Amino acid sequence: MKRLRIGLLIGMTALAWVMVSSSIPAYSQEDITSLKDEAFGKGQRPPAVFVHEAHNEKAEIEDCNVCHHVYKNGEKVEDESSEDSRCSDCHNVKKGYPTRPLMKAYHDLCKSCHQTKKVGPITCGECHPRKAASSAHEAEEGH
Amino acid sequence: MHGLYNFVRGPLAWVAFILFVGGTLYRLIAMLVIARKKDNVVFDYFSLFYGLRSIFHWIIPFANRNSRQRPIFTIVTFAFHICLLAAPILLLAHVLLWDESFGISWWTLPEGVADIMTLIVIGGCIYFLWRRLTQPEVKFVTFASDFVILAIVAAPFITGFLAYHQWLGYKFWLILHILAGEVMLVAIPFTRLAHMIYSPFTRAYMGSEFGSVRHARDW
Repeated sequence: MKRLRIGLLIGMTALAWVMVSSSIPAYSQEDITSLKDEAFGKGQRPPAVFVHEAHNEKAEIEDCNVCHHVYKNGEKVEDESSEDSRCSDCHNVKKGYPTRPLMKAYHDLCKSCHQTKKVGPITCGECHPRKAASSAHEAEEGH
Repeated sequence: MHGLYNFVRGPLAWVAFILFVGGTLYRLIAMLVIARKKDNVVFDYFSLFYGLRSIFHWIIPFANRNSRQRPIFTIVTFAFHICLLAAPILLLAHVLLWDESFGISWWTLPEGVADIMTLIVIGGCIYFLWRRLTQPEVKFVTFASDFVILAIVAAPFITGFLAYHQWLGYKFWLILHILAGEVMLVAIPFTRLAHMIYSPFTRAYMGSEFGSVRHARDW
């Protein structure tokens, strides 16, 4: 009986490990070329072009929490970051409260920074190009 | 490019909307004041019931004799006006701008549907142009300004269509689109596009006079 219980425990643990490990996508930041977020479902526009490495190099962003922020009581926590969780974990697609809805969060975060720095895309079609390849190149050039 | 985009989307948009709303109010008040001064009988015979009855018959396609006599014109003009109003107001990209600026938003059309509606508006403009050029009854009362007004209406839709599809020169068409929209907004109260403001009143007065004075139908 005891042996059966141990066997069951090992079996369950193994199964849990397989399930958890397979559900975590093996992403690294080098792989990210667009802000495709499964939470959106099928969007009307293609996901925003975003080449993670090239963007941060060009924009000279070193701290992850410039984008991967953590807010507590409406205040940004300076020394914390959230790159281990998805944007949609906090920003719901439809109901925003208490955070901004997901699309608005992306739009506001990207555009406000581009506006402040006076560089980078701020119009619809620059981030959501219909022909991904040609416009991605254009967006990268930082018009 | 940031500077130009921000200028047409910011201060210039404010100017356009202020002139549109202010101009509309001005034209409405001026109309009432002039009517009071020169044609006071309008107020004496004005009837809400007969006015609304007339509007009702003219706002529904084929519910009046005139529209039954000109079926193609009726279909085009109804499709044109519905699309002209609904497409820009319910456009996803426009509502996002309202949300971004003022935190207000509402239901939007699927982008593919809005795209077809844009083509209907452009097609309507071409039809009206053809009509003004060829149909004697319209040609006779057509002036150069009518073609300018048609161009003012068509421009935001043509440029919007080109910007949406991003074929060539996306940002050029986008900025031109915003400018064209602003020109049209300002033109509404100050040109013959003011029928947008006046038509309910002229229709209601016709209905009032036919209904309560002549005891006849006006549809």
